[in-house]
Amino acid sequence: MDIAQILINTLVRAAELSLLAIGLTMVFDILKFANFAHTDYAVLGALFAYVFNRILGLNLFLAIILAAFVTGWVGILIDQAIFKRLRKIGAKPVTLMITSMGTAIALRNLMRLIWTSHTKTYAIPLQKPLEILGARITPLQIGIIVVGLLSMIAFHLLLHRTTFGKALRAISDNSDLANACAIDSEKMIKRMWFLASAYGVIGGSMIAMEHLLYPRLGFDIIIPVFCATILGGIGNPYGAMLGALTLAFAENLILALDLAPLINLGGLFNVGSIQISTGYKPAISFMILIIVLLFKPTGILRKK
Amino acid sequence: MPIINFIIYLLTMIGIYSLLAMSLNFQVGFTGLINFGQVAFFCIGAYTSSLLVVNAGVPVVVAFLVAMALSGIFGYIMSIPTKSLKSDYWAIATLASGEIVRLVALNEAWLTAGPFGVMGIPQILKDLIPKDAYPVFYLLFVIACIIMVYIFLSMLTNSPFGRNLKAIRDEEELCLSLGKDTQKLKLQAMIVAGTVGGLAGSLFAFYIQFISPENFKPIETFLMWAMIIVGGRGNFKGAIIGAVVIQLFNVSTRFLGNYVPLGSDSMAALRMTIIGVLIILFLLFRPEGLIKEKKKVYD
Repeated sequence: MDIAQILINTLVRAAELSLLAIGLTMVFDILKFANFAHTDYAVLGALFAYVFNRILGLNLFLAIILAAFVTGWVGILIDQAIFKRLRKIGAKPVTLMITSMGTAIALRNLMRLIWTSHTKTYAIPLQKPLEILGARITPLQIGIIVVGLLSMIAFHLLLHRTTFGKALRAISDNSDLANACAIDSEKMIKRMWFLASAYGVIGGSMIAMEHLLYPRLGFDIIIPVFCATILGGIGNPYGAMLGALTLAFAENLILALDLAPLINLGGLFNVGSIQISTGYKPAISFMILIIVLLFKPTGILRKK
Repeated sequence: MPIINFIIYLLTMIGIYSLLAMSLNFQVGFTGLINFGQVAFFCIGAYTSSLLVVNAGVPVVVAFLVAMALSGIFGYIMSIPTKSLKSDYWAIATLASGEIVRLVALNEAWLTAGPFGVMGIPQILKDLIPKDAYPVFYLLFVIACIIMVYIFLSMLTNSPFGRNLKAIRDEEELCLSLGKDTQKLKLQAMIVAGTVGGLAGSLFAFYIQFISPENFKPIETFLMWAMIIVGGRGNFKGAIIGAVVIQLFNVSTRFLGNYVPLGSDSMAALRMTIIGVLIILFLLFRPEGLIKEKKKVYD
């Protein structure tokens, strides 16, 4: 595989991962716990989009927007029903994290109960890939990259040009001071959940479009998403984007790499080309995660 | 008498999971280490002991000991990347470790027979025990193991070592400031927990006599979590009671599945949904679990 193809695959993967990583990092930044149900919210939204698209016959783009909106509210509802109560009784962040794991299990299996374990696809016509610099890219993948880029710009503007963004940054910096300045943090937390869940749905739907959609998908993508978040520096949204890009590049590079020269040691052995076996594909992000934890647990962009 | 056999099966499985819950409780309830990859110990224990006996013809006792040692070593290795990090990192790194172990079991077919699993694991002391009495014998064997582990872990948690672990759980900085090497203590706690998990895995493999990567899915970890959340953390009675409650629910609903017009996949999904909700409800309304930890007060 040549370098142009690696770069294109990297951009597609990074667009998907960064949308998911942003929500995770935001919740961590404001509420100080790692939300293990985050990717399951995304898959719930992707399944809503499937219903709107396949059963109600809506345009896929509209279906995803609508699903993101609905799931944003689901995010708020779950927070009100579960996490807000825990915040009120002053539970430790660890308890919130374990509860989010319970939520993830309940949500994932509820989805399995409603939509069954079978894989699903959206109504996307078969696409002829275009050739750019000898690399192949489908119009869908171009769309994914563009939507990813636009979402990142929108997020940046939201964080810096709106009152909500400023309030959010204030809470992240110093929540007591923010409260003293009459910032209604509960209201901001609601909006934050909406945003985190909705962004997650866009990312989750894009992954589902590129591959397959099934209720367990949330568990299968949780480690790359956490890895991107930690790699960038947990709690930092720009770090999440950078982390997603770095992880996506590392994943695609390792997949494309020929490991034979490493083993042959300059002609000592004569082994043909060796590549990572497909069975270990999910393990690549695990290994990167562990390497990151060993050498740079604070991530590339340390928080402020 | 199928009903008696079923009850003995249920009790044996409760026993094996009690060991796993006790091991998890030792990490979470006593040391405050969030392990979302507990199933890795179970998997390593089961595969090591059964492969040693089936492929290498090693005596069962030796196989059990090696399996326990390997799981303990894995507990050590698993916690190296996160030994200095906070619980969020522990959670995700252990989740990843658990999945890596399962992927190795699934992909390294030359060693583990891959998705087909290890077959023909012999019964322990088969020639000495009459066939009808065998299930009861194995149940008693499991109970004996539980009693030994219970005594061992209780002694350990009441020792100065155990008090250090509780100090890490409650106030890690304070513990550090008293000159305790908290990282080393965490690694030691993981070795102990891994050893117990490995024993449970070996007991499981020689009971079921057939293991495959299907037995060691991440969902098993969350069953163990449900056990310690429902039963209560910080004491081993809670872990055992939790194992009883969750396994009763888990196995009996599998049994009820024959009478409910739902497919087996939907039934499994419904079962796990209820377990997820149970975890949430307990954490919200009874965070200490059914059996509360008795905290000693030092005057």
